Amino acid sequence: MQPLECSTCSTRVMVEKFSWHHTSVQWLADCETSCAQFRVDAVPGRQGVHIRNCSALRETIRQAVLDGTIPIPPD
Amino acid sequence: MTALNIDETDEVRYIDEGTPPARFARGWHCLGLVVDFRDGAPHSIEAFGTRLVVFADSKGEIKILDAYCRHMGGDLSQGTVKGDSIACPFHDWRWGGNGKCTDIPYARRVPPLARTRAWMTMEQDELLFVWHDPEGNPPPAEVTIPVMRAPGTEWTEWVWKSIVIDTNCREIIDNVVDMAHFFYVHFSFPTYFKNIFEGHVAIQEQSGVGREDITEWTDPDVPQLLAHRSLAAYHGPSFMIDELTYEYDKFDVDSILINCHYPITPDKFVLMYGITVQKTEHAPAAIADQLVDAMIGYIGVGFEQDIEIWKNKTRIDNPLLTNEDGPVYQLRRWYEQFYVDVADIKPEMVDRFEYELDTTKPVETWKQEVADNLARSTAAGKPT
Repeated sequence: MQPLECSTCSTRVMVEKFSWHHTSVQWLADCETSCAQFRVDAVPGRQGVHIRNCSALRETIRQAVLDGTIPIPPD
Repeated sequence: MTALNIDETDEVRYIDEGTPPARFARGWHCLGLVVDFRDGAPHSIEAFGTRLVVFADSKGEIKILDAYCRHMGGDLSQGTVKGDSIACPFHDWRWGGNGKCTDIPYARRVPPLARTRAWMTMEQDELLFVWHDPEGNPPPAEVTIPVMRAPGTEWTEWVWKSIVIDTNCREIIDNVVDMAHFFYVHFSFPTYFKNIFEGHVAIQEQSGVGREDITEWTDPDVPQLLAHRSLAAYHGPSFMIDELTYEYDKFDVDSILINCHYPITPDKFVLMYGITVQKTEHAPAAIADQLVDAMIGYIGVGFEQDIEIWKNKTRIDNPLLTNEDGPVYQLRRWYEQFYVDVADIKPEMVDRFEYELDTTKPVETWKQEVADNLARSTAAGKPT
């Protein structure tokens, strides 16, 4: 895994890609407070299961793969 | 006879079986439908290495105590509910829902410090929960089970099943990340698979398609099941809510599948599962009830398939994984938080972790396998 900083809110995570479609993300800090999207998304009293996703981080990872910062091993 | 290759220098992989933890997980554990405990009788529950008595007081509030009477060890779950207390069958000592001895009818006074262990309870969505913590603390406010059915929506009654399984309950937890077993054990066909672990919640997001080699849809009047979407989450160590949508050819059906358990001993647990279906214009009451009956049937078959594997497999602490397996080690790291004292929970056990599996290769392989199976059954003259 290698460190990566979100281009939107500077949250630092660890990322690993086994392939284009695989993504592994280890968040380090308390994502409730560090991630801008999660801060907005924290709605108390919600029903059922809720998945939070951060589109900004997803885009940061995509860009990092495209510019070679995050390598993808060959098949 | 097979000759050993003496030039082989690679080490043989060994299996570390490990041992199940001696303590039981901290968390809310579901004991079943509340209504089953409100019949005025005491109920005996073997759980957490001991025996509990569950009874309803005169106001219908469910109370849970250690079953063994602190006087001479009688089994309160064989006793009688008298007013707001449970009376021991041995000497009629009475114990209130808060654990205090309320009366000893044949004695002038109750001894000081006559208190047994009372367990915290919670009722939600018609289900009864008990809080277990080896350290004896109440649950923190954020450790909750979410309300499952939104107000204003209509659902069928729970259909609820229970079964005792002779293995450590970690086996069922492992299923959270085990994408491939859904194809090989459950004859399902996952096409998307992602896990998220965060705090006391572990999520599995899954989509899949039907298996044409397993189910044939020949009756045009029967709705054809094409695909499913599932969002399943463990809230704590033992209670999974699965928001499961079945996509039929003409409409979708929204259901909630509960998969939960409580430990009896380190190598035995009670598995319970329940299902409810949302009533809609496509699935009005009568149809929804039929769907629930059908679903509980094949979900039961699914657990039977798991049980057959568990009965014969070994415990394995060091599974050998490929990139197309889910994050077993990270899941077990998350699960570990429930087996250590709160003070010993490490950040990596609760920090958010995401794992999106690349399903390209499995989907390619499984499509071929389904096609091969169909070709074989056609060749064998089986109508398709």
